[in-house]
Amino acid sequence: MPIIEVEQLSKAYRVTRKAPGLRGALAALVRARREVVTAVDGVSFSVEPGEMVGYIGVNGAGKSTTIKLLTGILVPSGGRVRVLGRDPHRQRQANARDIGVVFGQRSQLWWDLPVLESLRLIGRIYQVEPARLRRQLDRFIEVLELGPLLAVPVRALSLGQKMRAELAATLLHEPKVVYLDEPTIGLDLLVKDRIREFIKQVNREQGTTVVLTTHDLGDIEELCRRVVVIDAGRLLFDGPLETLRERLGTHRRMIFDTAAPVGELPLPPGVEVEVAEPRRLALRFDRALATASQVATAVMSRSEVLDFRLEEPDLGAVIKRIYAGALRGAEGSGP
Amino acid sequence: MTALRDRIGVMAAIGAMALKRELAERSWFWMQLVVRLVTMLVLAHFWRAVYADTERLGGLAFQQTLDYALLAQVLAPLSEHKLITTFSRLLSTGDMAIELLRPVDLQASEYAGNLAGLVLYEAFQLPLLVVAWGFLGLRLPGDPLTWAAFLVTLLLGHAILFLADWILACLAFYTTEAWGIGVMRHVLSTFFGGALLPLAMLPGWLRGVADALPFAQGIAAPTLVLAGVTPLAQLPSVWGLQLAWLAGLWLLSRLAFARAVRQVTVHGG
Amino acid sequence: MTRYLDLYRLFLAQRLKVLLEYRASFVIGAASVTAIQVAGLAAVWSVLRQIPTLNGWTLDEVLLVYGLAVLSESITHMFADNLWTLGWAYVRTGQFDRLLVRPVDPLFHLLADRFCHDGLGDFAVGLIVVIRSLTALDLHLGPSGLGFLVLSVLSGGAIFVALNLLTATTAFWFIESLPLTRSVYALHDFAKYPLTIFHRSVRALLTWAVPYGFCSYYPASHLLGREAGALAWLGPVVAAVLMAAALAFWRFGLRRYQETGS
Repeated sequence: MPIIEVEQLSKAYRVTRKAPGLRGALAALVRARREVVTAVDGVSFSVEPGEMVGYIGVNGAGKSTTIKLLTGILVPSGGRVRVLGRDPHRQRQANARDIGVVFGQRSQLWWDLPVLESLRLIGRIYQVEPARLRRQLDRFIEVLELGPLLAVPVRALSLGQKMRAELAATLLHEPKVVYLDEPTIGLDLLVKDRIREFIKQVNREQGTTVVLTTHDLGDIEELCRRVVVIDAGRLLFDGPLETLRERLGTHRRMIFDTAAPVGELPLPPGVEVEVAEPRRLALRFDRALATASQVATAVMSRSEVLDFRLEEPDLGAVIKRIYAGALRGAEGSGP
Repeated sequence: MTALRDRIGVMAAIGAMALKRELAERSWFWMQLVVRLVTMLVLAHFWRAVYADTERLGGLAFQQTLDYALLAQVLAPLSEHKLITTFSRLLSTGDMAIELLRPVDLQASEYAGNLAGLVLYEAFQLPLLVVAWGFLGLRLPGDPLTWAAFLVTLLLGHAILFLADWILACLAFYTTEAWGIGVMRHVLSTFFGGALLPLAMLPGWLRGVADALPFAQGIAAPTLVLAGVTPLAQLPSVWGLQLAWLAGLWLLSRLAFARAVRQVTVHGG
Repeated sequence: MTRYLDLYRLFLAQRLKVLLEYRASFVIGAASVTAIQVAGLAAVWSVLRQIPTLNGWTLDEVLLVYGLAVLSESITHMFADNLWTLGWAYVRTGQFDRLLVRPVDPLFHLLADRFCHDGLGDFAVGLIVVIRSLTALDLHLGPSGLGFLVLSVLSGGAIFVALNLLTATTAFWFIESLPLTRSVYALHDFAKYPLTIFHRSVRALLTWAVPYGFCSYYPASHLLGREAGALAWLGPVVAAVLMAAALAFWRFGLRRYQETGS
């Protein structure tokens, strides 16, 4: 029984297109045109309980709009959306009780209040009984290391500390679904790691469904087993990250540790040397033109290989290709 | 026929568009005017009712009081307290040090800016003047001498208010809550400057307080000239008093600022 | 209902904690608002003490009207101050979406988020002026009179809140709602004085269009035994109708916000 069901979801706005400046505005009026901008165009997918789904696309592709439709902030122009069997717009409050949302830059904590007070107030808003609240707080203190932050007003926290507190606030009432909009933006590597670990833990231990929009490669790699790609409002891909990699990842790497420096090395077509150190050789090859075993054979036939490893297609390159439109030609979902 | 209808439609749309644009960008400006207009309406009716059975109040006839009250509203921007905000901002961002290093006297440059701002702001108040003159019974003096005298009194008065503000603004060097002092000063200058009512109508002891404060020199003095309450013959003594205030405050302002700046360099504020 | 009362108490407690932390601003805020009211009162008093009556109203009678107006205003000042910020602080920044994701009514959340302590200064001044006027006029209100007074102040407060809500809701269309709110709010200045001193059109405006008259003039008229007819009792009705209209408009604006995404 899917926890989130999205069927032909659409959201269109009427926008008046005009050139910049007063003259442009007046000129455009003479030829006034109200355009219809489709932010989300017939998107369909469903999410099972406990899944972690990544929502990827360039800015303006319709990610935030989809999140707003899923959380009940916006009303769809077409199609339907059901979360836990409810229409999130019609049953806004009931839906709100079961979800948590992190809007990257906009905090839900009170600026001047100490973190603990914010959390207490949120606990009351979500009607979390004191015993449960206490338990949750203890958990967060341990896992998010919230202890030293509790007495500090939010305005005095660093970005990383703010995000930790934000997550605590979002998960305080043990929501069944959590929407994370750019949760690691602006954070340093260590903090990002910690946040990702926490999210994984929550997903693992509570079975919380996670829908995540992000540009961060690390986020995608660590958290998104399943990925939905959206572009210009349309869903272009919905499936495992691995499949996406395979489809779009053109290059792989093989790294060899050799006993002695490798001399002349004839390479099959599509293979190029990336790094050539005395006892270390890194080769990059186009999957379409050469196989891993061809590359391995080429190297092993010429030198004594002590160890080697094979690296999967670089995710960054994959994402770049997606943003550049590699998927647009072939729409569809599934592996 | 449809072509004409279209044309009208387009014109209307352009008109509406331009209006919307004007409003959107100047909505704060319009809001200010509306608020002040309401105040002037209230005042006009209030004074009319007050003078219904009385000839003179505080030595003033109805028309004089009406003129005074309405003009005081138009001149209201005189009692804004920008300097305290400016000083607080410069100090909190650390830009004060940069300002002090410039080869220009800060007071002179601030004064110039302040004066320019006043001229601009008063220009924007003109619609109020027109409405008051056209609909609320305001009478403006006909002879150019009165207008000239008004301008002189206004310039002197504005300078006095500027210096008074400067002295108070120095408090920003000592506390971050100087803004509160600014608000208080605004209330005091509005009341004791004569913006709410002619000072002649205050009971004796309050009148005494008003005389001891510089605010009346900035607001009441020029307004009384333009309203025709102050006869031209009295101008020398009015200006004499203003110049005395000016000299005294100027000295005080230089002293206060020098002392305040030392505070910063000693304590590294 | 009780849940909302409980929640409000909690919001209030948190806000007071924050305000007390900034003790200096707390005091200055309340003091400056009080000072502004006192200055206005001093001006009115200075003038009216020199004349026998203002259009038939004595100084104390005028001050009763004045005090009731200030008292009613203090209610919106204290409890609905956040309406002023809806446009620039919530809709423009997207912070309003945060309210929509919480299992609470967004209007409640908006208002509860900010109890404005400055309003206490208005309340204090208004109360003192009203009490003083009543004693100076030798008006001994029995329980029914007192009930009428309290009801008038509460409906007066509701009228203020409703008008602010009506104008603030335009933020869903224009974002910059503050100028409109401020302009309509400015009209309450008329209500500080007996409406009889104003032109008929002003009286009509403040009775039927922007009914601030019911916050001060009509209740005062009734208390002073002046002929006000049915209008003396219409205050609560007007307040209820206006509030209902304001809430309906709010719901309409909210729906529009959710359909067009601002």
